[in-house]
Amino acid sequence: MNDRLLSSTVDEAVSSRLSGLLTEDTRPGYSGYLVAPENLLEAVQILRDELGFDYLSSVTGVDYLEEDRLETVYHFYRSTGGSGLVLKSSCSRENGRIPSLTPIYPGAEFQEREAWDLLGIRFEGHPDLRRILMWEGFDGHPLRKDWREPYFEEEAKPFKSRWPDGKAVRSEEKTPFGDNVCFPPDFDPQTWQAEPETVIERLQQDEKPLADEEIQTDRIVVNLGPQHPSTHGVFRMTVMLDGETIVSLKPVMGYLHRNHEKIAERNTFLQNMPFTDRLDYLASMSNNFGYAIAVEKLMGVTPPERAEYIRVIMAELTRISSHIMTTGFLLNDLGAFFTPALYALEERELILDIFEMVSGSRMMCNYFRFGGVVRDIPEDVLGRIRQLVTDRLPRKIDELDSYLTNNEIVKTRCQGVGVLTDVQAIAYSAAGPILRASGVPYDVRRADPYSIYDRFDFDVAVQTHGDVYDRYLVRLQEMRESLKILRQALRDIPGGPVLAGKPQYQVRVPAGEAYGRVEGPKGELGFYVVSNGKPNPYRYHVRAPSFINLTSLETMCMHQKVADAVVVLGSVDIILGEVDR
Amino acid sequence: MLENYYPLLVILSIAVFLGFLVVALGVLFGPRRPTARKGAPYESGMVPYGEGRRRISVRYYLIAVLFILFDIEIVFFLPWAVVLRQLGVEGLIGMFLFVGVLLVGFVYVWKKGALEWE
Amino acid sequence: MLVEWIIKSVVIVLFMTAGFAYVTLYERRLLARMQTRIGPNRAGPFGLLQPVADGIKLIFKEELVPHNADKLIFTLAPVITVIPALIITAVIPWGDTLTIGGTKITLYLTDVNIGILYLMAVTSISVYGITLAGWSSNNKYALLGGLRATAQMISYELALGLSFVGPILIAGSMSLLDIVKAQSSIPFILLQPAGFIIFFLASLAEVNRAPFDMPEAEQELTAGYHVEYSGMKFALFFMAEYIKLIAVAMIGSTLFLGGYQGPFVDQFPILGPVYLFAKVIIWLGVFIWLRATLPRIRYDRLMAFGWKIMFPIALLNVLVTAVVLVLVGG
Repeated sequence: MNDRLLSSTVDEAVSSRLSGLLTEDTRPGYSGYLVAPENLLEAVQILRDELGFDYLSSVTGVDYLEEDRLETVYHFYRSTGGSGLVLKSSCSRENGRIPSLTPIYPGAEFQEREAWDLLGIRFEGHPDLRRILMWEGFDGHPLRKDWREPYFEEEAKPFKSRWPDGKAVRSEEKTPFGDNVCFPPDFDPQTWQAEPETVIERLQQDEKPLADEEIQTDRIVVNLGPQHPSTHGVFRMTVMLDGETIVSLKPVMGYLHRNHEKIAERNTFLQNMPFTDRLDYLASMSNNFGYAIAVEKLMGVTPPERAEYIRVIMAELTRISSHIMTTGFLLNDLGAFFTPALYALEERELILDIFEMVSGSRMMCNYFRFGGVVRDIPEDVLGRIRQLVTDRLPRKIDELDSYLTNNEIVKTRCQGVGVLTDVQAIAYSAAGPILRASGVPYDVRRADPYSIYDRFDFDVAVQTHGDVYDRYLVRLQEMRESLKILRQALRDIPGGPVLAGKPQYQVRVPAGEAYGRVEGPKGELGFYVVSNGKPNPYRYHVRAPSFINLTSLETMCMHQKVADAVVVLGSVDIILGEVDR
Repeated sequence: MLENYYPLLVILSIAVFLGFLVVALGVLFGPRRPTARKGAPYESGMVPYGEGRRRISVRYYLIAVLFILFDIEIVFFLPWAVVLRQLGVEGLIGMFLFVGVLLVGFVYVWKKGALEWE
Repeated sequence: MLVEWIIKSVVIVLFMTAGFAYVTLYERRLLARMQTRIGPNRAGPFGLLQPVADGIKLIFKEELVPHNADKLIFTLAPVITVIPALIITAVIPWGDTLTIGGTKITLYLTDVNIGILYLMAVTSISVYGITLAGWSSNNKYALLGGLRATAQMISYELALGLSFVGPILIAGSMSLLDIVKAQSSIPFILLQPAGFIIFFLASLAEVNRAPFDMPEAEQELTAGYHVEYSGMKFALFFMAEYIKLIAVAMIGSTLFLGGYQGPFVDQFPILGPVYLFAKVIIWLGVFIWLRATLPRIRYDRLMAFGWKIMFPIALLNVLVTAVVLVLVGG
């Protein structure tokens, strides 16, 4: 095993308590346990209730075409910290069925829908197994290995048509703009009427009427989104209203879906590095970080000291830039007219300047490499970061604090709105500031340290009420903690190389699987990568925090005012590039 | 006396003229290429579910009724305020009685929960 | 007489229309400064031609009418909204009497002895347009926005109406000219501080400005009651909104800040309008400042605030003023 995901005590616990149900995964490069589908629910119940693995981090699947089976992969963690447990269960590709984990972990709901949508794994007992990222009526399951996209060329890049003579013909050029839309003969987009969507049915089924209601009012079904000014992109909430109160809400997503994972499985390992920038486009450095960690686990390389420090500096700067922007735009969702948002953007711009100096790009940084970072930080840039971290940012964060924290309107609108209790937050697999605002001090940097985070002295920001206001406070405190880490990192950064080995275009990744996770600004960002020894990842899955955080949106918004739904969404801090992938 | 109001009629007619003029400007100069999609109601880009005009929460009507009640009572304040100096303490007592009645209604409405927006 | 009325009416209407255009620019520039931006500065010097450019653009925009809309009401609603806004300031005196070459010209269109009643009546009418626009659009956002606007405006009208009573009590007249003249020594803001605050807050709600800009809450209802409007019909709503802003500032200045009163205004009556508009500009500046600063209050709290806090306090203010006036000032 290239990585012992289980600590020995957990191993013992598993073998004593679950020996009959689980078998160890002995494939080379793999870890964790296998379980038969019929034993899955029983095993998971024991895992959660007796072994304390109460946090289901990731649910995904792998299509093993040659072995004619689909494998689901579950990553469990303890909300108290420590390393995780990987569980796998297989079914046949044709009619395979796997019991759904939603009764035990409600947080599996969207992830299982995604696995059904993209891989065609049927989850029995799932309350609402509809497509989630692809549209209703889509044919096939794109992440299956035998599914081919239009203009398919080859299984893996680099495509022969563009290599080696260097005559690149992009597939876009084969279908010039304007001619690239074709409709069936009897289809006229002007007169076409959409069929009633299944989401409306679900909305009516899951309605939770207000309690003491004397007069029955007409329900209004309203779409907030996709083309809406405050859903942070093309996200859609279908809302059923009783007056101004939400009695049912269903999120609809996938409008920005581009099948990131399928494209990534066609790419080479290194080609995916810039591709991860496009996930959470406000935090490209931390996306790079997660992916680099996952692949480094497979390759077995460790970055040199200086590179580790640079990575931490970049990740923490990213966190500050993302949090400060979220805070500013949360105020926009509260109806402030852009002033806080623009103040926040001003600071973010300074951080983006630094990214541009080190990587050449403000947002799509593409800065990390397997075993280090792509180039060193010049000393004068370090000086600029120092100046920013010790002088400007602390001042500006305090300023934001003094403007917003005690504002009466902010308080009345945020306190007690969108509450998620600690139990709910864990059950819904919420991550990041949402989880910590609900009173669960779970931060991957502390709970399961990666890179060199175990060397720094910082506190995990935590609040207890689990409402929008506490999420704001958590973000504020996290920015301050990030500054603390940055100061320590800038003090201790050693000299030396920034990349282990030579820079190379084609990395050699041994067969196996790895799950790399980092604490991104939005929460736990995980990359599950399976390699079969070829230049391309066999499976590449992103555990997107803002996607999974949306699982609890319905609960948070229930019986709130429609104006508050927008605020709750703002406090969840979604990035559509990551939600829809 | 009444001639003081004639200028108001003049400005009213000018305002009406201007209002329609602006609408006419748009009709005259704006292009007009309607399509089915353009004429569809906007609901964040989705086809709306159900009618746009519908029965709405009863609380709005409640507010409207309450407004009429209280607004009429407020109008009584205005002439009273003009002549209060002449009326003196008598006028004051009269108004206190009036406000007392008004407050009874107000407190009743408040306690009944008509002012709650939940 | 008629010619004089027509000239004065045209001046008022044109002033309000031009005022609307430049208040939008004023707001955009000032907001930009408050938000560390520059604001529109390309069209003409200091962006002074920006409103013209915006107007021309809107004229040449296609106007859409939703299929299921009530077409007649849909077209009339913006006109109905803009008319009260244009005529409400007809009773506001811009100054006293000006003598040019022996002819006496009064710097007001008319002095109605129930001026304040006129203000209240016209304010009430302006609710209609918004309600009708929301209802006729056949759009859920518009409907909800229109309803919110209606409920909010009528709720705050109570407090607004009561805040008028203070100045009337002190001046002993409902004529705005008399009220201004009564303030020649001391503006009513000093005698009626509570009344002033009530007027200020209620008028913010009345013209749907931040933090009470609920009806067009962009965040949840996209644009509220005028979501389906485009082109010049949209421009009319926009115009009505900003003209109401100017009107509120004028009424407030007249009732509480001494209107056209100021140093040397008795010797040089022409200074009257200057003082009035200086006050209006400051008043508008505060409105814009609030918009740049405050988030929005939630709808239910707004209604509760209007009914449970503003209304009782306004009532109390009236009674206290009356008692003091009768027992002390009488």
